[in-house]
Amino acid sequence: MVIDMSPFYGSLDNFDRVFNELWGPLNISQRRVAYPPLNISEDADAIYVRCEIPGVNVEDIDLTFTDATLVIKGERKIEKGKYYRQERPTGNFQRVVNINSPIDVDKVKALAKDGHLEIRLPKAEESKPRKISIAMN
Amino acid sequence: MNQNVMQSEAKGLPRMKPATDILETPEGFSIYVDMPGVRKEDLVIDLTEDELRIGGKSAYQSATNENRVHVEFGNVEYTRVFTLSHIVDREKIKATLKNGVLELLLPKAEKALPRKIQVELE
Repeated sequence: MVIDMSPFYGSLDNFDRVFNELWGPLNISQRRVAYPPLNISEDADAIYVRCEIPGVNVEDIDLTFTDATLVIKGERKIEKGKYYRQERPTGNFQRVVNINSPIDVDKVKALAKDGHLEIRLPKAEESKPRKISIAMN
Repeated sequence: MNQNVMQSEAKGLPRMKPATDILETPEGFSIYVDMPGVRKEDLVIDLTEDELRIGGKSAYQSATNENRVHVEFGNVEYTRVFTLSHIVDREKIKATLKNGVLELLLPKAEKALPRKIQVELE
């Protein structure tokens, strides 16, 4: 977002301090509402979607990208045996991420390592900021 | 905000008890621990008299030039202690780390395995 429309624009420092005191050392949202947890970040060239999916083979993760939505789907399988304790989530999961930026679909890349999945969505050429040179007369 | 996240990461990682499944099979016990982002070399497993202590830090690199739009997880330090039953064969405990899940196989000692007793005929 280029223009900050919030009424507190300009005095963010105070607000940040209050929130930091409330949240303590961890600045991430603590509520686990959706599975898998994911982080979204962007830089000049691409949007990155990263998520934590431990225990799922790469072949079992289903990634689909249709016009402006990225869907991460998969299943966490259950082990056989007599359970004494079960804390790890099992079953099917799905998460949908809306992307409000033109993406170069052919160059989307995904990388899985140690239960961490990183999807790189390169921005399309036309959405990148371009410098316009001014001709002098 | 972006900078604050990095600052808090430097200060010390939040400690977390990893989600764990413990189950019994005829051969022994299996423990599955979710530790996403932990590399093999960062994983510590300590076995003492009757305790199995595991620990590890997830090692996501924080890219400095990226603008974080939405954050739901970060680097954490996992730590958990399990008490071992006396029927576990300590020498044969096996650990594998795959796809961010640590799998511990704790086989039962020979003497604890169920044994069939033959009835001898006179």
